[in-house]
Amino acid sequence: MSMRRGMLGMVAAAALAMPAAAQQRINLGHLMDLSGATSDVGTPFAQGVNDTFGWLNGRGGVSGRQFNMLAVDYGYQAPRAVSQYQAWSRDRVVGIMGWGTADTEALVRFVTRDRIPYVSGSYAATLTDAAGKSGRPGAEATGFNFFYGPSYSDALRAMLRWAADDWKAKGAPGRPKYVHMGANHPYPNSPKEAGEAMAKELGFDVLPPIVFALTPGDYTAQCLTLKSQGANYAYLGNTAGSNISVLRACQTAGVNVQFLGNVWGMDENAMKAAGAAANGVVFPVRTAVVWGQQAPGMANVEAVSKVSDPTGRAYRPVHYLAGICASMLMAEAVESAIAKGGELTGEKVRDGFYARQNWVPKGFEGVCNPSTFTPEDHRGTLRVALYRSVVSGDTSNGSVQELMANGTMKLQPVATIELERKRELLGW
Amino acid sequence: MDWALLVPLVLNGLIVGALYGVVAMSFVLIYKASQVVNFAQGEFLLVGAWVCWWLLTEWQLPFYAGFLVTLAFMTLFGIILQVVVLRPLIGEPVISVIMATIGLGIFFQALMKWIFGVFAKPFPPIFPADRVLVFGLQIQTAYLLSLGISVLIMLGFAWFFTASKHGLAMRATAFDQQVAQSLGISVPKVFAMSWAISAVVSAVAGIVVGIVNGVSSALSFYGIKVFPAVILGGLDSVVGAVLGGLIIGVLENLAQYVDAEWLHWGNMYTVAPFYALIIILMIKPYGLFGTKAIERV
Amino acid sequence: MSITAPSGEYHASYREDMTIFPTRNTRIALWVGLALLACAPLVFGRYELGLLINIGIMGIAALGLNILVGFTGQISIGHAAFFGFGAFASAYLHERYHIPVALCIPLAGIATALVGLVFGTPAARLKGLYLAIATLAAQFILEDFFARAQWFTGGTAGRITEPFSLFGWVADREESYFYVVLAFVIIMFVVAANLMRTRDGRALVAVRDHYLSAEVMGINLAYYRTLSFGIASFYAGIAGALYAHYLLFVSVEAFNILFSIQFLGMVIIGGLGSISGSLMGAAFMVLLPEVVQAGAEALSGSAIDRALRLGASISFLREMAIGAAIILFLIFEPDGLAHRWRLVKAYWKLYPYSH
Repeated sequence: MSMRRGMLGMVAAAALAMPAAAQQRINLGHLMDLSGATSDVGTPFAQGVNDTFGWLNGRGGVSGRQFNMLAVDYGYQAPRAVSQYQAWSRDRVVGIMGWGTADTEALVRFVTRDRIPYVSGSYAATLTDAAGKSGRPGAEATGFNFFYGPSYSDALRAMLRWAADDWKAKGAPGRPKYVHMGANHPYPNSPKEAGEAMAKELGFDVLPPIVFALTPGDYTAQCLTLKSQGANYAYLGNTAGSNISVLRACQTAGVNVQFLGNVWGMDENAMKAAGAAANGVVFPVRTAVVWGQQAPGMANVEAVSKVSDPTGRAYRPVHYLAGICASMLMAEAVESAIAKGGELTGEKVRDGFYARQNWVPKGFEGVCNPSTFTPEDHRGTLRVALYRSVVSGDTSNGSVQELMANGTMKLQPVATIELERKRELLGW
Repeated sequence: MDWALLVPLVLNGLIVGALYGVVAMSFVLIYKASQVVNFAQGEFLLVGAWVCWWLLTEWQLPFYAGFLVTLAFMTLFGIILQVVVLRPLIGEPVISVIMATIGLGIFFQALMKWIFGVFAKPFPPIFPADRVLVFGLQIQTAYLLSLGISVLIMLGFAWFFTASKHGLAMRATAFDQQVAQSLGISVPKVFAMSWAISAVVSAVAGIVVGIVNGVSSALSFYGIKVFPAVILGGLDSVVGAVLGGLIIGVLENLAQYVDAEWLHWGNMYTVAPFYALIIILMIKPYGLFGTKAIERV
Repeated sequence: MSITAPSGEYHASYREDMTIFPTRNTRIALWVGLALLACAPLVFGRYELGLLINIGIMGIAALGLNILVGFTGQISIGHAAFFGFGAFASAYLHERYHIPVALCIPLAGIATALVGLVFGTPAARLKGLYLAIATLAAQFILEDFFARAQWFTGGTAGRITEPFSLFGWVADREESYFYVVLAFVIIMFVVAANLMRTRDGRALVAVRDHYLSAEVMGINLAYYRTLSFGIASFYAGIAGALYAHYLLFVSVEAFNILFSIQFLGMVIIGGLGSISGSLMGAAFMVLLPEVVQAGAEALSGSAIDRALRLGASISFLREMAIGAAIILFLIFEPDGLAHRWRLVKAYWKLYPYSH
């Protein structure tokens, strides 16, 4: 780290001495979780981010300038992320690709003070209240926080809408029961209030929430509680790793529940690991297609994938593609900022996020969904594409690639819900 | 009183408690024989489960072959640990020995994460029928097997310590090292053997949990849960360890029941054993079956 | 006081016997060392200063634990929880009651000491292994409490704190905060060194060495054991408060069982019962991850890196290094770095008669 810091110090010194140098590198920070509680989904997302910027550098960077990624594995420990940030803010990064909810929320004040745009892997709704004027108690202005995809709360609202329709379609008597399941941590807790409010509004009976940790473990007791409460729809707030433990335990306990996942709650790797237990989970997918499907932008996605996998044989889960789209947002915002001329600052990059409407990064049409950010509202998209994980056989033999190809595992589109952009739902 | 929830929870508690009892027995074995508190007990489960998983998936061995090879490996593992790390520390103050086992625990936990990654990996399917219906509760076949194995192990321990020469040698060493030595019992061999048996038994428990829940670093937590069990049962009583494990397993699930019905805090399942531990230490520190240590000047 | 240390003990007064610095040279060495440290911000970059600040903070906490473990012979596997309590207390006092940070830090220390006394009272009845297990349980219970007590700690989301400021001088950069930490380190270490010279300090050592004889001589075991917990918690609280106002963010995730074990590691590696050893052990623990990182970076891109996947596993290598360091020190250097340092000094002092 000292070597890198020394080099960075020299680069910063050179930047100060020669302000007009056109070949300066663009410093971006990157917080990754490769070893902590959410590393099962953090690793593919971080891989997507690193590969995208590597691919861009391979094509000469943006506007002739290359990116200098300062990637650090902070192990999902918020204090480590904060201390890393403090080192970066002095190294004059113009943007940060972040990750977790706890650390992103902790850093909101810092990035606002230092005016550095922050694209997170966290989709907490509190990060969308850009001007802080939503009127919610404790609302903070998050003018420098962005993310690619629907917020956790909006995704949950969309799933509840679908669940209400599903209940009616099944023709079941009485009111459906909804329960929120997740760890006691900012990331699973993020949409809890919004979800329970929406559920009440739609006519669900809201049951007391069930807690299970972010790490894999034995959750038989929680599943027995779930069964005895008679829940019909259960939201899994954790990442795929611990959700798998719950799915398997609940399958054993004979629980009959429709599970609703968050964007990080299910993916192809989890489907292979959980096998039949993962069958039927409904969850949002942030990209228009998944790996292996056809779209105009897939050629570039495959090119990005080759940066870390020259053989082209690796299967890239949904989180990898989301990482690509999130990175391209940052990259095109930097491009807009450079085009404005003068010194490249975080503030200019932030303004670059407002430059386009219904924004699909160039070269990734058909893969990345359109996003629109405004100075008051950082909810990039309110369209939630719901998929169902279908597992129809034994997944212990064969790679993810093979299982998806021969149809043992399928991601089946269920519904696409377009929520209204309501002022009163901003920020929670 | 929601019986439909309470009964399955208690049953689940007994099944998991049997596993806690097996791990607690291995812990007590080491403590009785060599007076070492093994903070790395959970890592024995972890290493055993990962090695078995690796043999089954990487080398495609059938389950019984992989199981036996793992047991052989764990025997060696236990002996090597005792000889390399614990033998130089004989006679050192108890804090040093505790720190050494803690250091071992950290080292092996991180080593397993490095070699096998952080994702939970499932075992390949082993049994023809995944679960069995018992008293209205679906139980994993592996858990039933573990109950059977736990009972076998306990009977084995009972026979070992009463009827076999090595078992009697171990009891003699636990009682008075110097007299045992004077009778020709090799005390270092007894220590090594106790670590080997403990490692093997814990590995069996680890494999069972791995079959049911998948192998992940969560297995190490069994090594922490074992403390309430052995304190409740008495640090130097094998019978107490088994009972302690069962009680802690049931206690956890009862705490979950109370939490689900009335408290709605969500954390009682994980934290209740530690409250129980503190209470036991305050009122009955030597546990149900432990021998009271008499201090001599 | 003579210029060179004579062989043997020839003290002619109590003052000579109890002095911390046996020769004039050691006294001069200390002043020179402090002067050099005071100039450190002029020489070192922010990153190195950050490491020094961490060493100082961890050193204070390790010293507290050393008083408990090394001098009184107790065990505590819950030190990180008290460290965390100090951090939260300081943040809470500042935010809720608007007390200036300079006062919050000592107040947090006192608050933590009170909590430590509460835990110490029942702990005084337990010995050795049972005490270790009780403190382990206390660590988990306190961690759970921190996660649930939203009003105090900000729950699992944590809380942002303000930097240290004194009469308008704000110490929010490494260069300025270094002096704050240096001042606290000097004060706390001097207090500890003097504590060990007093009657109470000697009573603590007596409790460790042979508690039955100590009791026979009239030393109240329960009182001194509880006092020891209180003192250790005071140090942990001060260190935690300093940490909170350095990072400007506190969250319960930082104060886990691995952190407690690291403190114990610092004490053992530094040397049980040695005041300077606490600082050496803290320096070792803080610098060890940096060495591992540097090693992994030096190897990055090479065949070894690809074969062993070093790049992605830095955190695991760090933890393995901590575990391995503890074990190796226990086997090969059970008396710690302080003992090794004493041997090195003796070698040079007595050269060529080092045997």
